[in-house]
Amino acid sequence: MSNVTGWADQDKVHDIKSELLEINMGPQHPATHGVLRLLVKTDGEIVDSVTAHIGYLHRCAEKIAEGNDYRQFMVYTDRFDYLAPMNMNFSWAVAVENMLEVEVPERAEYIRVICAELQRICSHLIAFGTFGLDIGAWTPLLYAFREREVILNIFEKLSGGRMLYNYFDIGGVRFDTPEGFKEEVIDFINMFEVKLDEYNTLLSYNKIFVERTADVGIITAEDCADYGCTGPILRGAGKPWDCRKDDPYSIYDKFDFEIPYGEGEMGTVGDCWDRYMVRIREMFESCRIVRQAIESMPEGPVMTDDLKRNVKVPAGSLYTRTESSKGEMGYQIISDGGSKPFRNKVRSPSFSNLHVIEKVGRGQMLSDLVATVGSLDIVLGEIDR
Amino acid sequence: MEALKIHELLKERFADAVGEFNDGLEKGSTIEAGSIAEVAEFMRNDETLSFDLLMCLTGVDWDGYDENGKGKSVAILGYDENGEPEQSDRVAEGDFGVLYSLYSYKHGHKFTLTVRVARAGASVPTVSSVWTTANWHEREAYDLVGINFAGHPDLRRILLDDEWEGHPLRKDYVMPGTWQEVPMNGQPLAANPFSEDDVKLPGGES
Repeated sequence: MSNVTGWADQDKVHDIKSELLEINMGPQHPATHGVLRLLVKTDGEIVDSVTAHIGYLHRCAEKIAEGNDYRQFMVYTDRFDYLAPMNMNFSWAVAVENMLEVEVPERAEYIRVICAELQRICSHLIAFGTFGLDIGAWTPLLYAFREREVILNIFEKLSGGRMLYNYFDIGGVRFDTPEGFKEEVIDFINMFEVKLDEYNTLLSYNKIFVERTADVGIITAEDCADYGCTGPILRGAGKPWDCRKDDPYSIYDKFDFEIPYGEGEMGTVGDCWDRYMVRIREMFESCRIVRQAIESMPEGPVMTDDLKRNVKVPAGSLYTRTESSKGEMGYQIISDGGSKPFRNKVRSPSFSNLHVIEKVGRGQMLSDLVATVGSLDIVLGEIDR
Repeated sequence: MEALKIHELLKERFADAVGEFNDGLEKGSTIEAGSIAEVAEFMRNDETLSFDLLMCLTGVDWDGYDENGKGKSVAILGYDENGEPEQSDRVAEGDFGVLYSLYSYKHGHKFTLTVRVARAGASVPTVSSVWTTANWHEREAYDLVGINFAGHPDLRRILLDDEWEGHPLRKDYVMPGTWQEVPMNGQPLAANPFSEDDVKLPGGES
């Protein structure tokens, strides 16, 4: 060994001058799920610090809200989380109805819950597929999109749109369900529940996948509260907390479902695998809710008669939150008694969920940072609004 | 714990810094701006309150707000029919406000703290040391409403460009006519690059 010089010569390594390298991950990067720019300082392959730069997709939604009436703003909520527009519609509808203190017809409530839960499955399928993609597994994405297509077809028959629905309205939903809706949804659920096992075989318990995600990017429940992380991040951290159960809205108190949470099966509680697995299990729970809702869906009107076209909301302010697929989606509406909100603050789940990357990212390997961002399942449409 | 009891507890502890109880749809207290950081810290750390989640932080410009609740607030400025920014001679005078929506995972209760500061040199102490999530929310309030958060570790614009002028969610905000030489009032529609003869329908019919 004495003749060997250069890289292998360990004695000389500490003389090599090293400095932190600044790398831009994004705004155009396949693993950032949109136009997100992470300014990463790296020491070799170790991440020294992460700074998130957001706002590339800012469309002034809150300013637009002040110039539009309550019904008109519904169409903008679609564009927040464009992977789960039904959940976004739901949130806005509930927020305004809470201020109006108006009753929504029961059939409309059931349709809403079915849509929201199907949409949750849809959104989690994307999370599942793209997370695999981030880690290097191509196939799950194709499976996820195949199943998602069925839901999109159901939604297309229901609302006329495939991606952005604008289906919910203040006081109900826009149209009644088309013929054969119930059967189609039940067929999908029957088909899909079996598919979940397939996903587990394909990805969840795959050795390479587990090695890449277990013990990586650990977020504790305390961090979640501190950074305002909600949804699968919070539940992945081992806290079984869900708006649908703990702060119920709509008719979620009528259904029997469990809240899955991370238990550190593969590594530590709150690692990437736990967050991933919470989503898989939530899809199963969503199936349960949809099945119950389809079975007990009553007949009747889908739109309340108590509201005029131009909704005037009584003066006051209220923060309402609902559980979207990404976490706690809330609206702080301040009304002056008119037909337009005086101020409408949109509290989007991904906004807070992304913030935590500045803490978790520190000290990770660069490739683990990609896994962590993937496991947070952010959508830039709602971060930038 | 009931909101009124929380209010009384705060009143007992902070005396004059706590204003009246807001008994509307949303229950909460009005807090004097200067002591919001101490109140926040107390609310987070006190065992009987333990508000560990800051759900939402909202910056508000109360300028032109209709106090009677008739929907007669001052309209925001947009663009006129020629696409030029609307101007107004009115001098903005209303207060700025910040709303803190709190929730406790432990006890399951909610509470809203409200702060109002005078428009000139509006500054509110930061609560980002109490709840880290306030860091980004305060940056957003600074960016869009223009409220300063004293003691904030990194008060930069978050959603808008660093060189953006003004704060769009202020009620007296005038829309930009141009931004970095790009007209903001919309551009004339481009002429159709295809002539009528180029358009062929499927099946060979023109």
